[in-house]
Amino acid sequence: MTPAPSAGAMPWVVPAADFGQWRDAARRLLQAGVPPAAVVWEDTRESQGDLFADTTAGAIRLPEPSVAPAPVRIGREDLALLERASRYRSGDGEQNRWALLYRVMWRLHHGERDATHPADSDGRVLHQRRHAVKREAHHMHAFLRFYRDATDGDEADARGSQDAPGGESLHGRADCLGRKDDRDRENDLGVEESQASFIAWFEPAHDVLDLGAEHFADRLGGNPFLIATPRNGVAWDGQHLDYRTPCPPAWTARARAAQAAGEDSEHALWRTYFVSTFNPARLNHRVMTQHMPQRFWRHLSEGDLIPALEARARHGGRRLAQEASVGERKGKTLPPSRR
Amino acid sequence: MELIDKLSILADAAKYDASCASSGAPNRSSRGKAGLGASSGMGICHSFTPDGRCVSLLKVLLTNFCLYDCQYCINRRSSNIPRARFTPEEVVRLTLSFYRRNTISGLFLSSGIIRSSDYTMEQLIQVARLLRETHQFRGYIHLKAIPEADPKLLEEAGRYADRLSANIELPTLASLKTLAPEKELGTIHSAMGQIRQGIDAANDAATQDAKQPPRSANPKRLAPRYAPGGQSTQMIVGADATDDRTILQSAEQLYRDFRLKRVYYSAFSPIPERPAGLPQAAPPLLREHRLYQADFLIRGYGFAAAELLGKPGNLELEIDPKLAWALTHRDTFPVDLNRAEPALIARVPGIGLRSVQRLVELRRQRKIRFQDLIALRCRVETLRPFVVTQDYRPADGQRDSARLRQQLTAPQPAQMALW
Ligand code: SF4
Repeated sequence: MTPAPSAGAMPWVVPAADFGQWRDAARRLLQAGVPPAAVVWEDTRESQGDLFADTTAGAIRLPEPSVAPAPVRIGREDLALLERASRYRSGDGEQNRWALLYRVMWRLHHGERDATHPADSDGRVLHQRRHAVKREAHHMHAFLRFYRDATDGDEADARGSQDAPGGESLHGRADCLGRKDDRDRENDLGVEESQASFIAWFEPAHDVLDLGAEHFADRLGGNPFLIATPRNGVAWDGQHLDYRTPCPPAWTARARAAQAAGEDSEHALWRTYFVSTFNPARLNHRVMTQHMPQRFWRHLSEGDLIPALEARARHGGRRLAQEASVGERKGKTLPPSRR
Repeated sequence: MELIDKLSILADAAKYDASCASSGAPNRSSRGKAGLGASSGMGICHSFTPDGRCVSLLKVLLTNFCLYDCQYCINRRSSNIPRARFTPEEVVRLTLSFYRRNTISGLFLSSGIIRSSDYTMEQLIQVARLLRETHQFRGYIHLKAIPEADPKLLEEAGRYADRLSANIELPTLASLKTLAPEKELGTIHSAMGQIRQGIDAANDAATQDAKQPPRSANPKRLAPRYAPGGQSTQMIVGADATDDRTILQSAEQLYRDFRLKRVYYSAFSPIPERPAGLPQAAPPLLREHRLYQADFLIRGYGFAAAELLGKPGNLELEIDPKLAWALTHRDTFPVDLNRAEPALIARVPGIGLRSVQRLVELRRQRKIRFQDLIALRCRVETLRPFVVTQDYRPADGQRDSARLRQQLTAPQPAQMALW
């Protein structure tokens, strides 16, 4: 067994791209008694898509496993906390995720049970990171927008033979997407869309793509979808999730095109709804931006409406709760009932 | 009329209902199944309108034609507003389309009363039935319960909906008489009682199933669900002279008698063609906010309405109700965080429920120090006069409440300024 480097010796340089890799390496290091100060962790997840990323690929040098390694134990809750916190993308000046995790593991392993408590100096950072990750996953569930995939029509035919779940649905298959005239489409859209493909572009601030994809697979069931992000992407065919890192450029192009095209009349309906459900008498910019940070607006089909609605509300619109365009329509009072 | 015009009118007509929650539904998933939609206990806000309100559901009226003439309501029959009516299919189509684009998590459908209460309720049920049965929609559905409708219809509505709500709007008989003469508190209460019974019965049956699962795993054999997300209601604030004390006591009673999940408070917003006697003022948003805070203290922190407001009147606007309570109960404080019961720690201003839990966990391991409160991100400036820790005791503990109040009164948030 290679002994741990003593003081002054070369530190162990350990790359890790995901939680699983970190965990395997951390276990070996802990069993060999390597203290946190003797490890330099390289975050290869941060450099994904980087041309030089594979300089760290080769063989990873780790302490030899001992013949009868002492088992490393960690509470289920602590493990879940570490896993979630590891999805946090550190900003400038913030601690490397793997180094933080290893220090906490080391402390837990040596009996410091409050290392993961939010009042601890490390524990606090872990909890803050977990919270930020949870919030970002929630943002993705909330603010990601799907558009009809323009390449849908051709692919739908190819998919027909694959026997996707829902293939035998009540509504039959949607073979002639986009080939009907608008009125027909409007009438039986619900029927037609039961197997249509959807596509989205999203820019998550932390590593939450899989958390989003699982969520959308539950929601969309038989509807295939594709999500492209700056780092990675995922496709759902109705049965399986297919992750790609980095995101194939073709996916990115399709997602961006679908969003730019503003798709169909459906997002126009949504924008109309957004305008009408807003109550100008309650205008409250602070609360809105607190819940929906501005960085998301440009991905929302209603995003560009916000400044205009606010301006109108500020200039007199607050006097009434009613949407101005509704007030301009012809009104109608009704006779008393004869009940 | 085009669909888009109907949507514009019927969403405008529905926005006076404050609720847009999609929480409390059971776990459902469409993975590997025909149909669409999922739900989990957690609600999702898909957008926020510039009024800071969450957009979680497609919230529309089936129609804004109405036989009634409730004075506070924009849709009353004497109101000169554009009228429209969706077909059930149109609502279904909008719901599914928005849902697929991830702009909503479900539908909140209400309606003006047309023809009869039964007819109106049947129409709402028809939409829910189409969604659930024809399209196998598993997203969230909130239906308005029409109080006068046949109990059988309410029963049916609860089978499709995650949540049912009957709005009380005005909590006293006198207010209802002047502002909504065609409505009766009695019928609203009996509808709520009936919904509660439906929920209780479904829960009992579910408990039975859990103890003794039926031999077949067929979910149809399991106890039918009934409004698993519970029921809610809404009270209007500021349309008449009803004070906060009356409102909070009614809320407390509703929580107790009908086990409501939520009571919503809706600051009265100025409507066109305002009838005489109703205010043409900005909605009292800060008052509404204080009511929500008080409501939260009643539901989660073990406060009684009478503790928060002992005499007729309204909650203080300058300070939140928890701080107001602490300032009038100085003999309870300071609270020793290393010794006190969790329920008492929860009464300290500036310490929330989650921090209470964390403090209790922490003190099993070691003594709590003041630094811990900072690390847990409690509101330190607020709690300073009210706590004792291992290394801290308020020097200003003797100081009188009036000065404390002055010190702790937050400046008025700018958003509350009126035009
Ligand atoms: S019954 Fe409902 S919709 Fe009709 S006027 Fe009264 S509150 Fe408005």
